[in-house]
Amino acid sequence: MTPRIASAALAVVAVVVGVTLYLRAGDWAVSAARRRCSVVAALVWIGPAVLLVGVVLVAPAIGTIRTSFLDGDGEAYVALDNYRTILDDDTLRVSLRNSVQWVLLLPVASVGFGLATAVLADRVRYESVVKAVLFFPLAISAVAAGVIWRFMLDYRPPGAPQTGTLNAVVAGLLRRAPIAWLIDRTFNNLALIGTTVWTQAGFAMVILSAALRAIPDDVLEAARLDGASEWRLFREIKLPYLTPTILAVMTTMVVVALKAFDIVYVMTNGAFETDVLATSMYKQLFSYRHLGRASAIATLLMFAVTPLMLLNLRAYRREARARA
Amino acid sequence: MMTRRRVGMGAVLLAVGAAASGGTTVLTAAGESRLVEAARTAADAIAGGEEIGGSVSLLGVLGGEELDDFLGVLAPFEEATGIAVEYEGSRDIGAILQTRVEGGNPPDAVSTPNLGQMADLAEDGAVTDLREVIDADVLAAGFEPSILEVASTESQLYGLFTTVNLGGLIWYDPSVYDGPTEPESWDALVEWSRTTAAAGVTPWCIGLESGAASGWPAADFIDDILLRQAGPEFHERWWRGEVPWTSPEVVRAYETYGEIALDETLVYGGVTTQLATNFANGADPMFADPPACYLHQQATFMGGIILSNFPDLEPGSRLDFFAAPTFNPDFAGTQSISGEIVSVLNPTEQAVALAQYLATPEAGRLVAETGRWLSPNLQVDSESYTDPFLGRAADVLQDATSSHYLGNALMPTALVEAFWGSTLDYLERPGDLDDILADLDEVSAEAYAD
Repeated sequence: MTPRIASAALAVVAVVVGVTLYLRAGDWAVSAARRRCSVVAALVWIGPAVLLVGVVLVAPAIGTIRTSFLDGDGEAYVALDNYRTILDDDTLRVSLRNSVQWVLLLPVASVGFGLATAVLADRVRYESVVKAVLFFPLAISAVAAGVIWRFMLDYRPPGAPQTGTLNAVVAGLLRRAPIAWLIDRTFNNLALIGTTVWTQAGFAMVILSAALRAIPDDVLEAARLDGASEWRLFREIKLPYLTPTILAVMTTMVVVALKAFDIVYVMTNGAFETDVLATSMYKQLFSYRHLGRASAIATLLMFAVTPLMLLNLRAYRREARARA
Repeated sequence: MMTRRRVGMGAVLLAVGAAASGGTTVLTAAGESRLVEAARTAADAIAGGEEIGGSVSLLGVLGGEELDDFLGVLAPFEEATGIAVEYEGSRDIGAILQTRVEGGNPPDAVSTPNLGQMADLAEDGAVTDLREVIDADVLAAGFEPSILEVASTESQLYGLFTTVNLGGLIWYDPSVYDGPTEPESWDALVEWSRTTAAAGVTPWCIGLESGAASGWPAADFIDDILLRQAGPEFHERWWRGEVPWTSPEVVRAYETYGEIALDETLVYGGVTTQLATNFANGADPMFADPPACYLHQQATFMGGIILSNFPDLEPGSRLDFFAAPTFNPDFAGTQSISGEIVSVLNPTEQAVALAQYLATPEAGRLVAETGRWLSPNLQVDSESYTDPFLGRAADVLQDATSSHYLGNALMPTALVEAFWGSTLDYLERPGDLDDILADLDEVSAEAYAD
């Protein structure tokens, strides 16, 4: 243990000293070269970042795309076979379908809940309590959330005492047959997405709530003086002001949906057609040891996220330009 | 990456409880501590009387009270040697072990029921040959050659059995169960089940949920049925990937299982409840008042789990078992077994000492004393089984003409997981059995491909 702590401490010191030295040296080099060209300055300051991103992000990504054209052992070239399998294989197609379902439902539900709470809580005195309650789940790890919801969604046969909260309501209050939430194909994906909404709505709320506060009071006041109803106020003033933020939160949620793994892994591990792309990738890699297919799924996920990132980047630039 | 696996022969001859049969001696408190003391002395001898210290990481599948009992077996070792055993348990051991080995961060040792995966890793050169670290005398004195053989590749001994379970048992509550305890045949038991169901009580309880390993209890039983219905020879060809899953014998084993499991009147709560119930709670409804079922199929270790769930149950008068009846008179007396092996991946001084300790009869006696598992150690006699069930299980094994390792522990990991999952699919869509088995053939072809 002690040598580990020592080497960790050494590493921290080395990084701090190294960065300081680099900054000093860079500063010196830039000021020495200032008159001649600005390229030196750009290289000195961007270089390390580019290098880092290249080594830890770009190179592995290219490696993954490359192996996605190779066979299970990562040796022979198989062209598009892995991608074809993803579309042909029943279980992989199911995970593709489920991921699409996640991408469609999670952002809408999270933003819906977040926005509703942000707007409504803004108008009551116990605002902080409401917000804290919705925010707490964000502080819980996804694995713990999955375990909690497994208990909440527990199923016992009709007639037996229902230990799961939801089925206690369904059977006890509504007098209906209990539902096997995690097994019944009508509900199981929704149950998993719902659990994730529970963990993410708080995040949406916090961001949207901040944006709501940023709306200038005079605009709202003027509208109120003009006799606008609260609904019209929300629709025609608040919503347009919030749109960029809503888009940003939605993009984040789409990314959360695409990389959904832990909740599914803990709650069903993909049984009963609940696999998503990330759990399929994990199984292909570690159970089936099929490097090619796992890489193909990873590549697919990466390209699914890219347009969203570009969209987000553009919205961000537009905003920056508008402010400038 | 996927190497062709060379697992040893599947047939295992066990001489559990060879010394005496039937009579189980309840040990006194002093007797217990004598066992612990003996184990401590044995561990001391391994350490050469010195404090070795340090720690050994052990990856396994156990949790809850089962884990507590297993760690109890290791406690004298820790005390004597000063080595801390850091046990990490997960049912998803297949994937976790694979990740850690490939990531260059393997655990020092593994305790697993999945021999197939360890054989694969051994072929890749990731597992220490236990013959090099454990004395040949100790191995010869403690273990049947066949049980060493089953955990060997051609060139090495990759695993040492620590616990053994007898499969194919049917658990019941003698205070309420009025059916046959020595049914002539499986059909006779099914017949009794139907009569009971007609009288208004579902006779069976089943629980198949087990996290990442869901479905294994059904797979174990189908495995057991296949062994005793189609015979050991076919069974071995089956798990070696030499006969297709679509063979009529395999279809029949699934359907024999389905005869009970698929019938909503025969199983408490029907298919949905089976799928939603954790295996460890599978037998719980049997002890409700009034009982919701009378029978539960599971290996020896289930007795310990049931008694953990219901500490007040009197073993013998409220809980007992009988061996599942024959499925085929040609193979009467054939029994299935399963168990866990310990393998060493990092031959550190601590990991090696742990393996050496687990090979001693003293550790074996502590395993027997937990009342959960049979010890594979030949020097552990039936007096060590304080638990009445294990004493009887030892007898059943002794009476068996031959005992064989369950196939789903010997297959490659991918196939094992697909087999487990297939049982869930079958229960949900029994009409698609042919497709489900055809899918398994595909997985098998890939898993056994060189």
